[in-house]
Amino acid sequence: MSFQEKNITASLVSFSLILVIFLISILVMVQGDNFTSTNVFRLWGIVIVLAIVATILLTIFTHIVSAIVSAIAHYIKTGDENPEIEDIEHIADERDKLIDLKGTRVTYGVSSIGVFLAMLTFVFGQPALVMFTLLIFAGVLAQVVGDISRLILYRRGF
Amino acid sequence: MGSSQISNNIRTLRFFNDEMTQEELAKKVGVTRQTIIAIEKAKYSPSLELAFRIAYVFEVPLEEVFTFDPEDEPVK
Repeated sequence: MSFQEKNITASLVSFSLILVIFLISILVMVQGDNFTSTNVFRLWGIVIVLAIVATILLTIFTHIVSAIVSAIAHYIKTGDENPEIEDIEHIADERDKLIDLKGTRVTYGVSSIGVFLAMLTFVFGQPALVMFTLLIFAGVLAQVVGDISRLILYRRGF
Repeated sequence: MGSSQISNNIRTLRFFNDEMTQEELAKKVGVTRQTIIAIEKAKYSPSLELAFRIAYVFEVPLEEVFTFDPEDEPVK
């Protein structure tokens, strides 16, 4: 598994967890008759903050861990204690960039469908809270689906 | 998806170039080893620039590295 794949897997795991937390919170709110604007917007804030913090921490963590592992692997292979930066750095090449672009396209596609469905709830006379809930759900789900599509492209090729 | 009409002889060319490793080739052409693996397995068709870079490393014309077979063209 390449560095990019590890990075995507880490992102997939964290966003899946955020999605599960979000769905459980919504379920608890609906069951306990607490599906109010205050609670929903607080959940919005929590989900967005979690997403930002998880992304930043994961990026830092995967870069550090991967650099350490690469440096150790380089030392075992060559016996060189001071590897060049190119030996441990992970630069995205043309295939990585193309896969990222395709993944982003999937993310935007899912996100757009989610926004459309969220707007459609107005047609069926649902309150605005339902729309806002669906919006954030679609956003997180789009990220998860985008990450899955990236992993599939890495595994299957294109 | 998954299969390509472009096949290649990179594995053979590496063998005849002092058994050059995928890692060495990747470093010479400026991509990751995973990309070389994907190209060798015909899971990824490289850009024209990368294709020329690979041919340049092996000092052979592009046609000796990559071959295009229109017979494999998918039915539309």
